[in-house]
Amino acid sequence: MTASDNQKRAALDPWDIGFGVVVFIGSLLAIFVWFPNDMRSGFFHVNQIGRSEPGDAFFPTVLAATLCLLSGLQLTLSILRGSPKVAAEAQGSLTASNMKFLALFAIISIAGLTIMYALGPLTAWAMRALGLIDLEYRYLTDTAPYKYLGYVTGGFLMTTALIALTEGRLRRVSIITVLTVIIVAIVIFDKLLTNVLLPPNAEF
Amino acid sequence: MDLVLDYVMRGIAEVFTTSDGGFYWIPVAMVFSGLIIGIIVGATPGLNGPFAMALSLPILIWVFGVSNDALLPILGFLIGLMKGATVGGAVPAILFNTPGTPDAFLTTLDGHPMALKGQGPKALKVAHFSSVFGDTCSDMVLFMAAPVLAVLIESVLDLPEKAALIILSLSFMAAVAGNAPLKGMMVGVLGMLLALMGSTLSGNGPRMTFGIAELGNGLPLSSAILGVLIIGEVFIGIEEAARHRLAKIAPIEIRATGDNRLHWADIKRIMPVILSSTVIGTVIGALPGIGTTLAATLGYDFAKRFSKTPEKYGTGIPEGVAATEAANSSVSGANLIPVMSLGIPGNFAAVFIILAVESVGDFTLGPQVFRFTEIKEIAGYGTIINKDLVTAFAMFTLMVIGNFFNWTIGGVVMRFLGILARIPKSIMLPVVLLITLTAVYAQDGGFVAIWVVMIFGLIGYVLRRLDISILPFVIGFLLSPRLEELIRGGYSASGGDAWFLVKSPVALTFLLISVLILFFANTKKVPA
Repeated sequence: MTASDNQKRAALDPWDIGFGVVVFIGSLLAIFVWFPNDMRSGFFHVNQIGRSEPGDAFFPTVLAATLCLLSGLQLTLSILRGSPKVAAEAQGSLTASNMKFLALFAIISIAGLTIMYALGPLTAWAMRALGLIDLEYRYLTDTAPYKYLGYVTGGFLMTTALIALTEGRLRRVSIITVLTVIIVAIVIFDKLLTNVLLPPNAEF
Repeated sequence: MDLVLDYVMRGIAEVFTTSDGGFYWIPVAMVFSGLIIGIIVGATPGLNGPFAMALSLPILIWVFGVSNDALLPILGFLIGLMKGATVGGAVPAILFNTPGTPDAFLTTLDGHPMALKGQGPKALKVAHFSSVFGDTCSDMVLFMAAPVLAVLIESVLDLPEKAALIILSLSFMAAVAGNAPLKGMMVGVLGMLLALMGSTLSGNGPRMTFGIAELGNGLPLSSAILGVLIIGEVFIGIEEAARHRLAKIAPIEIRATGDNRLHWADIKRIMPVILSSTVIGTVIGALPGIGTTLAATLGYDFAKRFSKTPEKYGTGIPEGVAATEAANSSVSGANLIPVMSLGIPGNFAAVFIILAVESVGDFTLGPQVFRFTEIKEIAGYGTIINKDLVTAFAMFTLMVIGNFFNWTIGGVVMRFLGILARIPKSIMLPVVLLITLTAVYAQDGGFVAIWVVMIFGLIGYVLRRLDISILPFVIGFLLSPRLEELIRGGYSASGGDAWFLVKSPVALTFLLISVLILFFANTKKVPA
């Protein structure tokens, strides 16, 4: 570690402090807002033979209180680090570039998964509206080609878009690889294994 | 001693016989196929052993079911996979200077220069020999240490002590895995908290679900673990690959020249290094949370420090390859000591062994496994026997079979896989994401599993970017329900004494050690 690294460590690290603050506030919210509204049994409850025993809130509250204590300690150490001459814990950060990547990744994944989820039912709805078929999608979840529509289209678009994001271009080899993987996945999950449905067919 | 031998023989027999006494070849075939696939996975950039274990577990469960008979074929495959991936990791490191994992980076130091000198096949043979030797020795330590440790623990520890031991393990992992012990402990507790969503012990309906009905049975365990372990890594890998695409360098074609056989003289020359690295790797492996990277670093450093020609390290000598490969491979067997004796996983591969055991049959890992109950035949009732102990010895037998296949054919398979190291990560990682999403959907039966895997992937990404180890998070997530059971059980057994955990001297000692570990890990002095 260089001298400049040490100086940097001695200064307050916004990510170090930010992490502590987020966990501290989160654990307080859990104890006072989340748990009371999301659990039927309290910290203690009386069981069927009339004996008091820890309720469902007991262990989560103990854990959240521990988190509160640890984050408080971490915050204190982060702020007082200079005076007791104690080395800082390693602390990375999320840069603007990381955020940009996450945003792009989220857009591609959510778009791909939405197509995967909705394309089959939408196609069945449109064909039914046009009078081409009589059945709703839930009766077609085990019928080709409807059962493959969402998975193949959504999976293909999401995967090739991520490859294009990574490589900065889209090559023929990438398209062939993704199509091959999708066919293999269909063979394994739809043909070889019984009682298993491809996404999104178990939803309907 | 006869009793021990009886259990060992029954364990061996269980691998080869069906429940009705016929010959059973499937567990052996599964070890074999797991090993081959493991070597392929290890040799492919962007893939690793835990990922393959995670992905194959649901498929294995569909194929074999969840009955007791399914356990050994499934464990056989996972054990083979674990062993194969450890060996296969050396292929891209040696041939293309592209370490798939941090510990394989040390293999590149001497492995790739050997390949550049035309000794690539010989470097692969040295890596294979050292790796399998280290793994085999480490397994032997496991076979002897796990039962002894378990018997000791079972005789000393009750509910409060077992609860305190889990807390101690988590503190230890937070302190040693990663560079931020306090934050490691915080994410460990966070993992524990998230694991409690949905499930309840009181039967008063689901808890902490935000009203989402699909979470009523809790977060899908394998989706959550797969998300934080694998998908988080995939996010990072895709981002890194995108960032470095302009600096992409085409791999250099290297041809083998001269004598590339591994002679007895070579083995004799590298043996001292292999032995020292095996001891280092095994000791490190027995401690939960310390990974293969430290073992490989220490093994390499030790070999170089005590060499008569330390200046030759890094120039392409077999000793350099042997030191790192023996050290990182000898971690894997010893890493199962805490799993087998305490039920506490020490690394990611062990997490998936525990997941398999919890999903299939009624075998449970932990100190109770190694109770040497006297075997008695009772007329009209059957045999009184500790079946878990028989299964444990069957597991050991599968590991021995895995080592046999690794010794005999592992090296041959390894030398044919150079081509896989050329598959670009830019294609591999998005494909891994699609396969993972398909597998979790099929296993956990719904889009909720896909959202869980993506959200936990995001958690894994953020923790990695913030330099916080994800191991305590995963271990906390996995052990939380058991810890809750132990604490609630201990509280009830003490008659409602709120101080039950600190009234036992052993539990109190464990808790104090936990605090001390975290305290000392956090009081590193600023270098002058």
